[in-house]
Amino acid sequence: MNLRRWLARKSGLDTRVEEYAFAADPVLGHTATARLAERWVNTTCGYCSVGCGMQIGVREGRAVSVRGNPEHPVNRGRLCPKGLAEHHAISAEGRAREPLLRRDGRLVRVPWTEAIETMVTRFQQVQERYGADSLGVISTGQLVTEEFYALGKLVQLGFGTANYDGNTTLCMSTAVAGYKRSFGSDGPPGAYDDFAAADFILLIGANIADNHPILCARLEPNEARTLVVADPRVTKTAMMADLYLPVKPRSDLALLNAMLRIVLDEQLYNAEYVARHTRGLDELRASLAAFSLEDAAEITGLSQSLIRQVALLYARAKRPMVAWTMGVNHSTKGTETVNAINNLALLFGHVGQPGASPFSITGQCNAMGTREAGFASSLPGYRKFESEADREELAKLWNLPLERIPSARGLAYPDIIEAAVAGRIRALWILGTNPLVSFPNVDVLRQALDRLDFLVVQDGFHPTPTTELADLVLPAAIWGEKEGTYTNSERRVSKVNAAVAPPGEARSDFDIFLAVAERLGCREAIFPSWKSPADAFEEWRRISAGRLCDYSGISYEALERVHGIQWPLAANSIESPEATRRLYGNGRFATDDGRARLIATAWTPFPEQPSPEYPLVLNTGRTVEHWHTRTKTGAISILQRMAPRAWLEMNPLDAQRLELRPHDPVEVISARGRVSRVELRITEIVAPGQVFLPFHFAESNANQITQSAFDPISREPNFKQCAVRVERSPMSARERARKRR
Amino acid sequence: MELPLLARAQSGMDKTYRLTDEGGLAATESLAAAAASDRDLLVSLCGVGASVTLPTPPGPGEQYRFHFDMTRCIGCKCCVVACNEQNANPAEILWRRVGEIEGGVYPDTTRHHLSMGCNHCLEPSCMTGCPVNAYTKDPITGIVLHSADACIGCQYCTWNCSYGVPQYNPARGVVGKCDMCHSRLTQDQLPACVAACPEGAIQIETVRIDAWRRDYHAADSPGMPSADDSLSTTRITQAKRMAANTGRVDLGRLRPEHPHTPLICMTVLTQLAVGAFAAIWMLALVGSARHRAAAPLALMVTGIALAASTLHLGRPIHAWRALRMWRRSWLSREVLLFTLFVLVATLYSFALWLSLSAAFLLGAVTVLLGIAGVGTSARLYRVPGRPAWNSPFTYAHFFLTTALMGAISALLLDASSALARRIAISICLLIVAVELARLLWLMRSSVHELRGAATLLRTVLKTPFAGRLTLLLCTGVLLAHADAMPLLLLASALALAAEFAGRWLFFVSVVPTNIAAQYLAPEAA
Repeated sequence: MNLRRWLARKSGLDTRVEEYAFAADPVLGHTATARLAERWVNTTCGYCSVGCGMQIGVREGRAVSVRGNPEHPVNRGRLCPKGLAEHHAISAEGRAREPLLRRDGRLVRVPWTEAIETMVTRFQQVQERYGADSLGVISTGQLVTEEFYALGKLVQLGFGTANYDGNTTLCMSTAVAGYKRSFGSDGPPGAYDDFAAADFILLIGANIADNHPILCARLEPNEARTLVVADPRVTKTAMMADLYLPVKPRSDLALLNAMLRIVLDEQLYNAEYVARHTRGLDELRASLAAFSLEDAAEITGLSQSLIRQVALLYARAKRPMVAWTMGVNHSTKGTETVNAINNLALLFGHVGQPGASPFSITGQCNAMGTREAGFASSLPGYRKFESEADREELAKLWNLPLERIPSARGLAYPDIIEAAVAGRIRALWILGTNPLVSFPNVDVLRQALDRLDFLVVQDGFHPTPTTELADLVLPAAIWGEKEGTYTNSERRVSKVNAAVAPPGEARSDFDIFLAVAERLGCREAIFPSWKSPADAFEEWRRISAGRLCDYSGISYEALERVHGIQWPLAANSIESPEATRRLYGNGRFATDDGRARLIATAWTPFPEQPSPEYPLVLNTGRTVEHWHTRTKTGAISILQRMAPRAWLEMNPLDAQRLELRPHDPVEVISARGRVSRVELRITEIVAPGQVFLPFHFAESNANQITQSAFDPISREPNFKQCAVRVERSPMSARERARKRR
Repeated sequence: MELPLLARAQSGMDKTYRLTDEGGLAATESLAAAAASDRDLLVSLCGVGASVTLPTPPGPGEQYRFHFDMTRCIGCKCCVVACNEQNANPAEILWRRVGEIEGGVYPDTTRHHLSMGCNHCLEPSCMTGCPVNAYTKDPITGIVLHSADACIGCQYCTWNCSYGVPQYNPARGVVGKCDMCHSRLTQDQLPACVAACPEGAIQIETVRIDAWRRDYHAADSPGMPSADDSLSTTRITQAKRMAANTGRVDLGRLRPEHPHTPLICMTVLTQLAVGAFAAIWMLALVGSARHRAAAPLALMVTGIALAASTLHLGRPIHAWRALRMWRRSWLSREVLLFTLFVLVATLYSFALWLSLSAAFLLGAVTVLLGIAGVGTSARLYRVPGRPAWNSPFTYAHFFLTTALMGAISALLLDASSALARRIAISICLLIVAVELARLLWLMRSSVHELRGAATLLRTVLKTPFAGRLTLLLCTGVLLAHADAMPLLLLASALALAAEFAGRWLFFVSVVPTNIAAQYLAPEAA
């Protein structure tokens, strides 16, 4: 700043009037000139799975503002705080700008050609030496569906490894597994309209006020509903409830089984529906014979009469909905818990009916896209690895020999990590995820990454705790810089568009996949004549045609026109694209015989019970201001200001016993590690004996202490409960110095 | 286990649902039917900004106000982000904030949020205190508007507002605040916070001013400072059932406030100057001695004090504007009185130098203006938003400094004066006694902000607090035993240091009233 300017500022002649000026924007109305846009680009939010339609305001090639798309059926113009500040993610500091290759221990800039060449050569060397499956790929829920489809083909058909999974296994694989077991296929049957249409809503392990705030806006206008919230913690969502159930940690399955027992014992269920559309009633009944209401009361901490009342509320409701998220999924009993929820719905035929469905609220913006188009938990279009007919169909559609189509699922995410520790996975490609913060018991992951011959991390941001360990960093475009589609929790496909160019040399993930395929020499075979995501989408429409997730009636043009279309929509459908669609409303399920399965489940205590050494149960979760590992939201000053660091919630009784005071820095210690210097919040939000720590913060990483315990079916980690003890942190050097003074 | 919501349902009191004897839902059909129209209304209300209708513009005797519905707020903070986007404010400045209140015992926990912008008070204390008339209460909408152009960045409004609404932007050198998106309202657009709230928890309403003046209890809520201070117009819908102990979650967070160094210099040095002129004048009166060389020295101190005060301003070049609102603002009066003081003191100094007979009268006027100036200095810190300042102790603090500096000045001018010596020693002891009495008063108070000040003085500020009292005692001892001029000078220096320390403590130990904040403090910048 020159002297004149400095003097003008200091004397008060210059008050930066231009920076703080206002003007009329035809879209936003009277607003700060800093937000004035030359043009608006329709897109879909890139954070969570609610799938809000939004518009990015662009001026001089920069994203300067956002607003909710008033015409989008999901949010009708509303956005959550992360969405309202999303344009700042694009211009945030710490974006990855150029390919970086590790040389002599340091990451140095290299041209793209060299980056791709090195990556493919190293991967091929590893595969030649240790076998094709020694390459692992861990993807994300953050890419567009076109990219997931392309990546799946590239990994499974190009590199020829089956060991491909996404961070969605840390998140939604339980819902996937639960739906498959009950209904024969993945695919949430309900719609957001159900939140408004239901007369009874049970939110179980779902803190939507923090994690899916715009769903609260769908639910809140429904004044006819009874909202029951089951959560060990008095969340913001619990405060919305008409009836709050303060269940003990991981007792959800006991609560559900008690409800099932009551419904069966008192013959409250829809016998006709059960007889016509399900199998397994006798086994279900038998599995509950030894499980009494007294047991349930003991396990859940709820009174028997209260459990019975909740069961009766569900049984007598005309349009009851049960919705869940991570409280259920993040559990070694997660899949069974999902099955118990599905059992309850099936006993009454409350599946795919207006206002009534077992509804999994997804996590990431396009976790659903990975499930539909990916090659991880199933073949594209919810085809089964084990079905020869499905494989033959794909081989024909792709014009590839049948033996190129994988016939079995590869390793799931946690098993890829274990295989790396064991030396069976030798090279790893991580895309759009930051496992150094998000993977449980992170020291195991560190060991795994240390043992690798070659680690490629493809991300929109650098440095992140994960890119710092990479041998090669590929800079990727992020939301707002690329085109494609996202699918939200209610199976609604929405368009994602590029508003601005990626920074530096960063390229869209799609372009990177094409370049890798080119170098591998399989581009024409797996991506025939593809140039843009639109080409992938056209192929995906053909691949999904006739499947449960039928996209054939959905086109980019229609998506731009109506802003969001729920699948299935067949090409020849006479249905309006805007119509609300649900699955299985006719009682025909995706199983061989068309009948859903009632599945026997059994509650067991969570794996690591409190002990004298570790007497408290740690619960982990999120806060509304941040997204996952904070690579984006930590770089956005307004969100960071509102939630600047981690905290530990503890009940006053425990704090008194431990002689701790509000704002004390504490250590949270488990058998696996410790989180240091977390600020203590003494609060009645949590029950005595329990503590809560948000997991977003790398510097206070909750996953230093979580455990390696996984659902045997879905392979999802048991993030939500482990045993810890809490101590006041030893004084820092500064505090000691101050004390001495 | 007590479950109030269930109890409410069982008793049939709840309008949203009831349980029959068997525990089932009763009258869902009719309720659903009844809700259908409400729902449509609500969807349009809390939906897209554009579809929410504004109330009709206020008529005579009416104004706009915010309505905040605590039962709808889910604490998502959309309003905070939307406000900062609308106004292009940096993240350090939040014109709308969301705080948290909590009470009860698990699982019957009460947990709510308060989203607050400006309360557009009927008697805005930001406005009445402003020395430059930067604030206006819009005659049509009742919105309290602030002009960045008129503002000189004195930040007096940030002390006057009990809610912490006006916030100083150091990058601009001026204060800013929520104006209810006045310009949007006049163009039939919703304020950014209202439009952004996904739950329809923030709305704009029209209020009848006279009726609200009679009964404004709906502006009060747990987590909010009393609406008595300035007659806040924000109507708060509270949750029907809240635990009796529901209150702010951020009370355990006490931090020393900004020291306002230029103001420390300004107040201590003006008080020194006033004391010195009083000593000069009185010595002339009693002993007929003319200390004509001392007057220019005292004048110079006054000049330094006034120059220092302008450094406190964000826009020092416009300092003269502070004279403008002397009819209303104590800050203007302070500036006016000290300006007059410096003018008359200059004349007095000339008169002394030239041994004019008018010196006696000019001296008397100088001293009176000085005392009045110190009085207004003290008065302007008596703001409800800073309870630890809002007490007679502030007068005692400022006048005792003046008296101590006066007595010591007298002693320096006339080292043989036993009276001056006795007075100086007494004042040292008196200040120690008053400070201890004040600490006791703070400690025993039921007001959080007063107890908070005591806590600060007894913990993080313990050393400077005890140090200041020690300095005063040392001064007293030194004065009692020392005759040599170097020792007297040392005692004077100790006394001045004690008073600087005292003033620093005055500024940093105050705990402002504020709306409930979030539990975690923002990151240190």
